Amino acid sequence: MAARGRCPGCGSAALVEDAHYAQQQLVCAACGCVLAEGLLTTTYAEEEHLREVAYSQSTGQKEQLSRSLQRGIRRVQDLCKVLQLPTVFEETAVSYFQRALQHPSFHLVSLEKKELLGGCCVFVTCRQHNWPLTMGTICSLLYAKQELFASVYLSLQKELELSVPALSLADLVKTHLNSFRLFQPAADIPAPFVEDKEKMVARTMQIVELASETWLVTGRHPVPIVTAAAFLSWQSLQPAARLTCTLARFCKLAGVDLPPPAHLRLKELLDILLRMASQLAWLRVFNMDKKTVVKHIGDLLQHRIFLLKNAFCVEAGEEQCAAAPGEGSPGSPPTAGGVAQEEGCPSEGKRQHEGGPRPLLPPCLINPRKRLRTAAPSASDSAITGDEPISDSEIEQYLRGPEEIQAFRKAKAWP
Amino acid sequence: FKDDLSTSPQLFTPMSPYDVDLPIPPTEDVLFGSQFHQPKELPTDFSSVDLSFLPDITQDNKEQNLSEDGHEMQKEADGSISRNEPSGVFMDESSLSYPDATKPSPEASGVCPPLTPMTPMTPVTPASESSGIVPQLQNIVSTVNLACKLDLKNIALHARNAEYNPKRFAAVIMRIREPRTTALIFSSGKMVCTGAKSEEQSRLAARKYARVVQKLGFPAKFLDFKIQNMVGSCDVRFPIRLEGLVLTHQQFSSYEPELFPGLIYRMVKPRIVLLIFVSGKVVLTGAKERSEIYEAFENIYPILKGFKKA
Repeated sequence: MAARGRCPGCGSAALVEDAHYAQQQLVCAACGCVLAEGLLTTTYAEEEHLREVAYSQSTGQKEQLSRSLQRGIRRVQDLCKVLQLPTVFEETAVSYFQRALQHPSFHLVSLEKKELLGGCCVFVTCRQHNWPLTMGTICSLLYAKQELFASVYLSLQKELELSVPALSLADLVKTHLNSFRLFQPAADIPAPFVEDKEKMVARTMQIVELASETWLVTGRHPVPIVTAAAFLSWQSLQPAARLTCTLARFCKLAGVDLPPPAHLRLKELLDILLRMASQLAWLRVFNMDKKTVVKHIGDLLQHRIFLLKNAFCVEAGEEQCAAAPGEGSPGSPPTAGGVAQEEGCPSEGKRQHEGGPRPLLPPCLINPRKRLRTAAPSASDSAITGDEPISDSEIEQYLRGPEEIQAFRKAKAWP
Repeated sequence: FKDDLSTSPQLFTPMSPYDVDLPIPPTEDVLFGSQFHQPKELPTDFSSVDLSFLPDITQDNKEQNLSEDGHEMQKEADGSISRNEPSGVFMDESSLSYPDATKPSPEASGVCPPLTPMTPMTPVTPASESSGIVPQLQNIVSTVNLACKLDLKNIALHARNAEYNPKRFAAVIMRIREPRTTALIFSSGKMVCTGAKSEEQSRLAARKYARVVQKLGFPAKFLDFKIQNMVGSCDVRFPIRLEGLVLTHQQFSSYEPELFPGLIYRMVKPRIVLLIFVSGKVVLTGAKERSEIYEAFENIYPILKGFKKA
């Protein structure tokens, strides 16, 4: 293009800024040639500052969505960014959210629920991609009550007919341990407490697998189990220095919350380990207790298949659980859960062999709470036809007499 | 036939030592005695019994108890007002523990034969498809229309067994002792009755509530009595790997240990929701008919058993 000072047509330098109707023009005074017109300029200065226009801004897409939907989508995107999820997750979560909001059962729910709905969509997306995200995390990010979150989640799952795979414990162990602060030396952490992450993750995984084989995981909240397993594995890697540290102190040092059931899970894990230790030849001479068994967790984990077979009766008949190992089934398959026919062993039988093998059952079956056995319907109950005559006296027992009514009225119990 | 049944005892209750004693009429004593002392001939004629809904009916000894179940169940299917309510849990082994024991022939007394006793003899691996476990009904919810407008304040004033807090809930909560149930009575005249253990009990209870309302001076009728929901429970007696079940039956199951310790299984046919727990206890709900609960349990039992053996 010609220099600004000269007209390309005639070369004259007489350029005038003039307005043609509403538009500014740069016109050559000599020949009348228009050099530049108003706003449709492509000057160097403006090209410098060109910015990429997002698709959603240039098209009318955003205007088509309602404001609450826009707000919800933004919230979902923010959540994904906070959790550092891949972009694929964000798109899926947003699409679920849009689908959900269009569904009649979610269209008119309260704003609080709509926000939870966004969180649920993110949660479902993560679970479908096997990204271990717990509900506790999402609830804390949304400042939501867990019961409300649970109800929204369940109705979302039902309405959109989403199949959500189960939480994988192995991945959860890795993510949960990522948040522990014991892998780098720090000011408030004593030197012997710092641990190598890989070793701790590997051992925690093994303990969690052991817990899952021995029925400690099914039906229970996963995070306390991981916390208890992490504590045991950490202690066992350097027992001399760490045996004196309690679970509470461990969690405080690691910078994680101590969930209340973790103490119970720890007790159950130690009980399993003690039983296994009783079967290990070179440990039988020692009197193992909760503290000392921690030192030998490495050995116990190494031989766990053999020890599980011997310490618990995997397959029991009508007789008492003998010391014989179960069938050749290895301890690992998830369905090798022990079956003690309860009809065979009366309930006292479970406690008969204190030192001997115990049936491999979930804790709720080992320590059954006293059950209120409702009496079976008696013969008279069963003979009810539904059409029996109803005696007047029976009905009258439910009606107040006139004196009672007067007394109530006097006491002004009734407005 | 009906008269016999009305006098006969609850034939389905298991003879476990800790259950209520059954009054057994004299005729059955004889049958019982004979069962212990001399096995009778196998009745080959099951023509009087409709077993069409059972899987494979053979003349096998082990199938005897199937047909026994079938006989009972068919009677229930016959009429909604059934006299033989199954309750409690059948012990699998014990019911099949009598390879030689015979079921006395159905036409002997005109009454369903009694159960085989509970003492397990030689444990027999059941070849039958039936589980031998019968879910016990725990709660029935029904509704009825009294077809007249009600003054709830009036009812609450004149009835001893009524509760009414309009600020909390817009209905009177009334309870009766026999059958032990609770009713919600609304001012429109509609009523919900909960807590009964059988359909007949629910109907009887609803009628008693209607009678109470009648005696309070309202022209209450008894229209459109309908059972809305039935809840049953039972115990399969072995622990269940819920994580495995949710993997193989993903499209029906929802297992969220963070939310609830049990697995929620939504069966499509019949449309029943089952809550399955690690201890082996199963709760079945959402049924409008008793048979749906039994059918649902018979459908889930092989699935759960498949887990136990694998």
